[in-house]
Amino acid sequence: MKKVSRVVAVAAASSVVLAGCSGGGPGGGSGKISDGKIVLGVLTDESGPYAELAGKGAVEAVKMAVEDYKAQYGSKAVTQKIDVVDADTQNKPDVANTKAAELYDRQQADVVLDVPNSAAALSVATQAKNHKKLYIDISAASTALHGASCNKYTFQYAYDTRMLAYGTGTAVTKNGAKNWYIVYPDYAFGQDMQKSFTAAVGTAGGTVQAHDPTPFPGQDFSTYLLKAKSASPKPDVLGIMQAGGDLQNLVKQYNSFKLADAGIPMAVGLMTLTDIHSLGPDAFAGVEFTDPWYWNFDATNRAWADKFQARTGKRPTFVDAANYSAALQYLKTVQTAGTDASDSVVKGLEGAKVDDLFGRGGTIRAADHLLVHDAYLAKVKPAAQVSTDWDYEQIVQTIPGDQAFAPAAESGCKL
Amino acid sequence: MPRGAAGGGALRVENLVAGYGQGTVLHEVSLHVAPGEIVTLVGRNGAGKTTLLRCVMGLHKPSAGRVLWGGSDVTAVAAHRRAAAGFGWVQDDRGVFATLTVEENLLLPKVSGGGWPLERIYEYFPALKQRRRSMGTQLSGGEQQMLALARVLRTGARLLLCDEPSEGLSPLFVDKIGEVLTQIKKDGIGVLLIEQNIRFASRVADRHYPLVDGRLQEPIANGDLAERELELLDHLGL
Amino acid sequence: MTNFLEQVFNGLVSGSFYALLALGLAVIFGILGVVNFAHGAFYMLGAFGSWLALDKAGIGFWPALLLVPLALGLFGALLERIAVSRLASLDPLYNFLLTFGVTLVLQDLVVRFYGVGSQPYSAPKELQGTISLGLFDYPKYQAFVLVAALVVCSAVWLAFTRTRVGMVVRAATERPDVARALGVDVRRWIAPVFGFGIWLAGLSGVLAAPMRSVNPLMGSDLVITVFAVVVIGGLGSVSGAVIAGFALGLIEALGELYAPFLAQVLVFVVMAAVLLWRPAGLFGRQEVRA
Repeated sequence: MKKVSRVVAVAAASSVVLAGCSGGGPGGGSGKISDGKIVLGVLTDESGPYAELAGKGAVEAVKMAVEDYKAQYGSKAVTQKIDVVDADTQNKPDVANTKAAELYDRQQADVVLDVPNSAAALSVATQAKNHKKLYIDISAASTALHGASCNKYTFQYAYDTRMLAYGTGTAVTKNGAKNWYIVYPDYAFGQDMQKSFTAAVGTAGGTVQAHDPTPFPGQDFSTYLLKAKSASPKPDVLGIMQAGGDLQNLVKQYNSFKLADAGIPMAVGLMTLTDIHSLGPDAFAGVEFTDPWYWNFDATNRAWADKFQARTGKRPTFVDAANYSAALQYLKTVQTAGTDASDSVVKGLEGAKVDDLFGRGGTIRAADHLLVHDAYLAKVKPAAQVSTDWDYEQIVQTIPGDQAFAPAAESGCKL
Repeated sequence: MPRGAAGGGALRVENLVAGYGQGTVLHEVSLHVAPGEIVTLVGRNGAGKTTLLRCVMGLHKPSAGRVLWGGSDVTAVAAHRRAAAGFGWVQDDRGVFATLTVEENLLLPKVSGGGWPLERIYEYFPALKQRRRSMGTQLSGGEQQMLALARVLRTGARLLLCDEPSEGLSPLFVDKIGEVLTQIKKDGIGVLLIEQNIRFASRVADRHYPLVDGRLQEPIANGDLAERELELLDHLGL
Repeated sequence: MTNFLEQVFNGLVSGSFYALLALGLAVIFGILGVVNFAHGAFYMLGAFGSWLALDKAGIGFWPALLLVPLALGLFGALLERIAVSRLASLDPLYNFLLTFGVTLVLQDLVVRFYGVGSQPYSAPKELQGTISLGLFDYPKYQAFVLVAALVVCSAVWLAFTRTRVGMVVRAATERPDVARALGVDVRRWIAPVFGFGIWLAGLSGVLAAPMRSVNPLMGSDLVITVFAVVVIGGLGSVSGAVIAGFALGLIEALGELYAPFLAQVLVFVVMAAVLLWRPAGLFGRQEVRA
């Protein structure tokens, strides 16, 4: 009895030493998996304004990734013990910060995924750095995550404000709307969006004649709408940087003040499938925006969306798809590395090619940990053209990843 | 519940104990007021006079003891029902409604048998008629006191609980109040009066109860007041 | 000039919601001495109720305008009877906490069943489009909201100043104990007045549904501003609440026009200034009782 336990102890000790020396080489053996299992923590907004965009759908998507990983590798999988745990940020940065620490420390999470709200995401990135564990951002759009605030353990996977601005700002300006009037919510995300759009419009040969900050959250935007309507010279387009409830308030009022009839169409910075669903497609009909992913783009996406709908009763948002892709990419990297030791996985992810339903033609840039992948310029269909439920978008153009995202040199990231 | 007039209209307070939180303000207070009798409560500030009046009116819940009205126990009866049974309260700050006009102040009370009609009020208090469209607190202090008295007469109260009606008023108004109280007494209405002004009290009252630290002392008949005035002033701390 | 007038209209329209909501809060505070934190939740239920009525029962805007506030008002009166009244004798803080709890429960129930997203609701056909106001065209629905709010506020004001019910409520609001000693059964009025305050919140919600995002959190953002309106108007002052409501809407709109950098904090700057100048609010009375 005593002998057996001594053998086990020696084996365990030597595997720790080996893992420490080699940094983890390829090959199986669950001895190189910390705590004997892989834990994926989905830290998302389950009760606040982003619960429809991310929330339980994102958690489900990560579970699907685990199942698909196990199905693909079968008995060759690095371990069969893979847990998915989730926690609710309530869309509050302080809660996100505490929950992240809890996931890493108490629940032994090897990676944390998602985290809507840029302020929350930035605090989770710091936790990841301190714990030397991975964080893959999905829902937060701040460029700082792969820029000034980047760190070795943090990855940005789905999109950033620059991508949203580049796609929409460039396309709309090149289509003839040279003169922009921008309204943006007066907090970090809105200010970021405003700057990114102003830059994109300028590059495309247009000008921003005015940009108005609005209170956040806001109920009544009629003052701003009338200001834009009566502005001189008449703007070619109203750039709306509001998101979520503010966006819906604003668009309802945009429609009742008949700005479209006055020849001022809207361009929306960040719009999601759930936004269109909330107001109905007619409220947005014809509006162009940039989408990181759309469920009804092609047969591959549709097939996955059907599986997702069977489990959740709704169509996946881009956040759901990106969470799925990121989780799968993480597991595949662990498989290749043969260990879930953070430094090895980071090394494996850097420069990795991602080519699944989300990350088309994608590469994870080693310089700033951003997944560069194709984005799409989408247009909202009028209700009359919507053939099935949630089929709200028509993809106008595919924007190649290297155009959608800024070059690594511009990110300002020092890893 | 009997209205005061029918049931003899006598108020009887038996062994009343009351306080706020843990502190006791009134200790076993017993007194009575007969119809047509004016009885004063005399005591220093904080002796418990106002608390006693609030207990009688049903605005403060005593912790022990009983309040009897015409022989029946009203200790558990709500204030608005006591008002209907003939209790009337004139608050020390007069309780005039600032957001109501003078006339609305007079129209607010539930009027029952024996209540003064508006015409009689205006006849008796011509100043109120003149200012009936003014808001309650635009009146002078004396006029407000008249309004408070007039208002309670509208209810047809058979027992008046008056909290320092003469306080801060000019001699002219003090005289008018004396006149009103005398009239009320003639109508057979009982009055329990808090009064610091002994000159005024001695002109209208039948008996005086000194209240010292929440304990009621032996009453002094008004006739004996002249010789026991020093004793009373001592209770008042003057 | 035309532009300025249009902005004045905008201010009055958003002021309409402040006025209706603040009026309900003021009435409830007056008679109960309780700040009803759940006011925003009932506003949300007004809007959500309209959507539910349409989505589940095919009940359109006009019937909803009658039915939804009525149902909420009755629910409010019931809430007063079974919960609020039980805490009335304690420190008002208890009832504030109760209404805070009610807010969370109501919001979470809606989230639980319908999610956090917003629901589609549009103006009735006859109120879509614009109406010419001489110098400019204005959205019909927004104009309707302003007229409706003015009518309701005037009717409430008339009822308060010209009827016996109003007189009794004013008296009970100002000095409940004096009113009781004059034979007025104050407690009988509390549930109906509470219900009426909730009715106003529900009505604002129904009015908001066609022009604002209908989501479970729509009330929680707004209620903070409305608290500021009530404080500016003077706690418990009915006319103060209405005047401050419209005035604040106006100030906000013109502030957004001429000083956009202040827009975010303007309401609270105004509140602080008013409180420094008149601690009881513009129309509030100083506390007379010791």
